[in-house]
Amino acid sequence: MAGYILKRVAVAFLTLLLIMAITFLLMNAVPGSPFLTEKSTPEMIARANAKYGLDKPLYVQLFNYIKNYLRGDMGTSLKMQEGTAVTKIIFQEGKFTLSFKLGICAVIFAVLVGIPLGCLAAYNRGKWLDSFLRVFTTLGVAVPSFVLCAVLLIFLGVRLQWIPVISGSLDSGKAYIAPVISLAFYPLCYIAKLTRTSMLDAINQDYIRTARAKGLKTRFIIFKHALRNSMIPVITYLGPMTAGIVTGGFVVEQTFQIPGLGKYFISSILNRDYPIIMGTTVVLAALVIFMNLVVDIAYKLVDPRISLTKGEG
Amino acid sequence: MEKKSFNLFQLNADKIPGLDAMTADDFSAASNEEKAAMVETRQSVSYWKDAARRFRANKVSMAALFLFLLIFLFSYLGPLFIPYNYADQYRNSSKLGPGEFSAKEQLVQKTEGLSDRFFATALMPGSLTSLSRNTTYYFTYKGVTYSFYVEKAVGDAVLLFNADAQEKLVRVSEKDLESGALDNAVPVEYSTGPVDTKAENVLELKMLRRVCKHFFGTDSAGRDLMARTMYGGRVSIAIGIIAALIVLVIGSVYGSVSGLVGGKVDFVMMRIVDIIYSVPDVLIVLLLQVVLKNPLQAWLDASSSDFARLMSNLGVGIISIFITFACLYWVGMSRIVRGQVLQLKQQEFVTAANALGVPNGRIVKRHLLPNCVGQLVIATCLQIPSAIFLESFLSFLGLGVSIPMTSLGSLCSDALDTITLYPYRLLCPGLILTLLVLSLNLVGDGIRDALDPRLKK
Repeated sequence: MAGYILKRVAVAFLTLLLIMAITFLLMNAVPGSPFLTEKSTPEMIARANAKYGLDKPLYVQLFNYIKNYLRGDMGTSLKMQEGTAVTKIIFQEGKFTLSFKLGICAVIFAVLVGIPLGCLAAYNRGKWLDSFLRVFTTLGVAVPSFVLCAVLLIFLGVRLQWIPVISGSLDSGKAYIAPVISLAFYPLCYIAKLTRTSMLDAINQDYIRTARAKGLKTRFIIFKHALRNSMIPVITYLGPMTAGIVTGGFVVEQTFQIPGLGKYFISSILNRDYPIIMGTTVVLAALVIFMNLVVDIAYKLVDPRISLTKGEG
Repeated sequence: MEKKSFNLFQLNADKIPGLDAMTADDFSAASNEEKAAMVETRQSVSYWKDAARRFRANKVSMAALFLFLLIFLFSYLGPLFIPYNYADQYRNSSKLGPGEFSAKEQLVQKTEGLSDRFFATALMPGSLTSLSRNTTYYFTYKGVTYSFYVEKAVGDAVLLFNADAQEKLVRVSEKDLESGALDNAVPVEYSTGPVDTKAENVLELKMLRRVCKHFFGTDSAGRDLMARTMYGGRVSIAIGIIAALIVLVIGSVYGSVSGLVGGKVDFVMMRIVDIIYSVPDVLIVLLLQVVLKNPLQAWLDASSSDFARLMSNLGVGIISIFITFACLYWVGMSRIVRGQVLQLKQQEFVTAANALGVPNGRIVKRHLLPNCVGQLVIATCLQIPSAIFLESFLSFLGLGVSIPMTSLGSLCSDALDTITLYPYRLLCPGLILTLLVLSLNLVGDGIRDALDPRLKK
């Protein structure tokens, strides 16, 4: 077990280093230099390059960059908030907390609604509720989040005026409704589908027959015995779901005008503010990789049958 | 075993119904014709025929296929039926709602309604000779050759050529002629062949722009949104298919090499796949979009090869989407192919082929690939909607295709600023995008169930 965890942690760390290297090399491949203005002379540029270590060979720069990142220094913004440290922009100005709160709400909503929906569908297999839920979830995984955002915005915000059109900093509870639903909808439907399938698999197992033979109630069997064992595919989905919610956040924050990290990230991309792009990419990637790691380990804990050597997660 | 069991199969003549009614003739040997009638002459069902039959039996998939074909035709043939173009900005018709006309277009429509009675007959006032239908006429005025095309039957009216005005060819009714307002018009002589000018110098005159309802309305710049949605659909479908093919090629080559060679090479190749798999793809895609834009543009501007020209038609955004697919999204496919190859390598028919001395290349071609095709088709079909999804996501964030080119995602993105005032601008392309992804998902599921019934849930 310890070996497994160690291996997973090593792979996760390697992936993070790879991502840091990729972001660095990609940003380095962009033509132009940060000191290239109309007034600067070649000597000035050379002096500036020397000051910031940009005259050193690429691998030295890469090494320095990774070293700085590991110490928590991500450089300063070039355009969006000139001179402000990237770590400060990401963590101390409420952007990360805002996006994080939204993401957590979406995860909880998706899990708490998705799993019971899947159970309901499996419980009522072949009946109209199952068919309805199947149509609903199939549609749900086909709707792009921005279309859903727009529909919610138009009907709940403009027509019925239940929710504010611009969610802003999510001050009121109502402001959460539309962003959380749009963010959670795809994972919710996906979880419901997963739960239904794995539940139906579990129902055909021998221990369920035994439970039935003991005379337990169907409802009890489904929610106590079958559900526990059908949770494994859902747990494996939690990793990709985090990635999906992080990227879904870009769209949702853009649509509802929420000043979170996602919206900031996209505008830094459109403004080509490279230090912010690099810093945010690494932070978000670290989050996703960490979640994948947690899921891998949890998976192993829940189902010890998964062998150490295979390592397919 | 007890010997008694043999008795079980012995016939008891008393218990056979209808035996008494039979005569000795009934037990004579069958004639050749009778034998031939008994031979079952059923055509052999191939793998693909069998799959097609299963697919056709699946009502949901067939409905989804029909829906996809509808959207496909809407996108690819639709622009032929509406007089608007995705890039043209029509003056005076911006910000129209669905199904509306601008004031000018209403005027045009009115005159078109009159055209059964009053239509062009001649270029020279007064000469009312009928022009024949479906013919292109040419005339030269001040060294420039103009052409115009008559598509409807013509009655009593006059065509006037006005070199100063923007709409150079004007249709005039007899009443206008009688009022004397057009006495100073220039008479022009026309012919049915180009007048001693090269065809490329001919300026085409449109009598009047045909008008049609703006079914989806127009945007703030006066572009017809239905035309844009059609072109956006084209772009989205094309991107989905091409990206899926790129993934198919790279993934299957990588996966089959890894599976075939095996050993350390396989281990290293699969660890690379593992790492790429755990990289959060969308973040890297966003980075690639940022980075690739400028160098690609520079390359396209500098290069003059046919390939570069073809690529520059596509636009930088689309090319970088393809590159990102080529870089990141093949890993899933390579895993599937590797798994298939590993499984098939163990099969007896491969061992037999090996024992018979069939060269490796032949084994791959004859035995491994044909057995993988089903899996490849399934994975590719399911890749298409996810590629469309990703493209629309990128375009929505302003990183995909660039103006005047459009895609369903960028249409939604353009509509976002005015969503509270003009919701239909986002809902129309959004609905089509949803239906497109939905239908492709369902078709993909249907193909999976048809090709590999074991996977059916």
